[in-house]
Amino acid sequence: MGKYAFYPGCAAKGASRELYESTIAVSNRLELDMVELPEFSCCGAGVLEEIREVLDIVVNARNLAYAEKAGRDIVTVCSTCLLVLRKAKYLLDNDDDLREEVNEILIEAGLEYRGTVDVKHFHWVLLDEFGEEGLKEKVTKPLSGLKVYPYYGCHTVRPKEIIGYEPSENPQSLEKIIKAVGATPVSGERRLECCGFHAFWPAPKISMELTGLNLKDAKREEADCIVTPCPLCHMNLDANQSRALKEIGENFKIPVLHVPQLEGLALGISEEKLGLKRNIVPFKTLGGAR
Amino acid sequence: MESRKVTFRIRRFNPKKDEKPYYKDYTIDVSKGMTILEALQYIKDNIDPTLAFRAFCRSAICGSCSVKINGYPKLACKTQVFNELDVYQTDTLTIEPIDNMEVIRDLIVDWDKAIGKMEKMRPYLIPDPQVVPDTLDEESKVYPEELKKYDSFTDCILCTTCFSVCTAVKHDENYGGPFGLARVYRFAVDPRDSLKKERSKVGYSFDMWNCVRCEKCADACPKHIAPVDGIMKLRGLSIEVGLKDNPGARHVMAFYKSLLESGMLNEVLLPLRTKGIKGVIENLPLGIKMILKGKAHSPIMKPIKEHETLLKVMKVAMEVE
Repeated sequence: MGKYAFYPGCAAKGASRELYESTIAVSNRLELDMVELPEFSCCGAGVLEEIREVLDIVVNARNLAYAEKAGRDIVTVCSTCLLVLRKAKYLLDNDDDLREEVNEILIEAGLEYRGTVDVKHFHWVLLDEFGEEGLKEKVTKPLSGLKVYPYYGCHTVRPKEIIGYEPSENPQSLEKIIKAVGATPVSGERRLECCGFHAFWPAPKISMELTGLNLKDAKREEADCIVTPCPLCHMNLDANQSRALKEIGENFKIPVLHVPQLEGLALGISEEKLGLKRNIVPFKTLGGAR
Repeated sequence: MESRKVTFRIRRFNPKKDEKPYYKDYTIDVSKGMTILEALQYIKDNIDPTLAFRAFCRSAICGSCSVKINGYPKLACKTQVFNELDVYQTDTLTIEPIDNMEVIRDLIVDWDKAIGKMEKMRPYLIPDPQVVPDTLDEESKVYPEELKKYDSFTDCILCTTCFSVCTAVKHDENYGGPFGLARVYRFAVDPRDSLKKERSKVGYSFDMWNCVRCEKCADACPKHIAPVDGIMKLRGLSIEVGLKDNPGARHVMAFYKSLLESGMLNEVLLPLRTKGIKGVIENLPLGIKMILKGKAHSPIMKPIKEHETLLKVMKVAMEVE
């Protein structure tokens, strides 16, 4: 079993705390060796790069350095944190001049980046540690009959040079998780489309339109719910659902679960521990599938 | 040699003849190593001479043969059939023209829209007379560390693959497009250029802040360029030249401020910091829902452990050139 440093990211520590709660609950139930490092800072969500590229990389080299100190691979539950941390690592590992420059800055804080830890997404860890079959064996309450829309969004699959866990053209990790919990993945034309979250402030109309179209696709596939590995996608799909649907002239409700919430339900963890009551569109609206 | 029967489901459309596009299946023997382009050429030569597609160099440099393979755009000449069969676990591949441009016929699209956008943004060197000599007797030097800033963007072959997948292009008529905006950045950091950072204003007027950062351009580029990275940096330059009073730039500064204050993003203050009172009012219904569901944190946040190390490295990072 790997040793992991939990990097929740700002969303899971704030507006998506149900993601934090469910991740901890699942990790405990599966007895993962995963601890949160209190030194971790916000990754900057890629926007620090817009102030200065080196600022973005230094902030994340610091995060990586603390994980190295603890001898633990970083595990995050946010797709954008995943991309930003992996990108910093990719640049540092492939550019000696940059690594030297960044280490000269880190030394001011008594830290060093050596490149000894990896950065993974929580659902990759579930699959890598237990496999689809192993996860199936852990299930106590199979979610039979539940049709789930696997919504990847962007940053757990793209760009392949930095993420590279599975083919970005046709990823299957979420489908594997959905099958492992006894549910059925529906095929989704928009499963790899963007939710528009990162353009929410400058272009709310585009952001809401994209989210609306994604929700509509899930409805068209007759999914009972959507599952996503990203709290930012979740914010748009769940918290902003009514606004997004209004933008495209639709009006319906579809629950959106975080990956650990779906996994946790199948492991028999209580709805309270999974923070289900915090989802804006209640999962309970689901008809008869549970 | 290993060979497999493969069905190519090709989207056909001749606007002069057909009312709407249709799909036609061609099943052929494909041997290991054969490219999508070779398969298309085989079909044209041996089965259906009316099939239209563009191709020229067969070496991934002319940029003319980009097509969608099972929905994902790639250069046909650079893509082996067997790899695609592996990725999709199938013996049938759907081949379609790339998106975001009009179809002229079958797999051929009209590039004018994409190239026209780029031309409007003037992505060519406007020499700085103080740097570029008048005659060819002297060299115009670019040092390696200067070149490093824009080197990758000069690899663009104008295949329009990135334009075809771009989410912002699809949803915003005015958006400049990935390769065009990346070119604007490329000249904005070229030491020989006379406009330099000022070019970011062009990016601004072509809606660069509407990039949704879906990373599709970076993922699909056959030359391994990440246009999105150029766009992010062009945004940074626009803040440097004073375009600070817009939601995009204020959003960036809100993150910076949050990191200095506590090390974590202050989500509660984000609407106010990004869009002022308007942002608060716009997002009030959502805010109330969030509070009722226990999803909002206190606006005053406790700093992370070792926050001072973060402050130290951020300070130095802002000081170094």
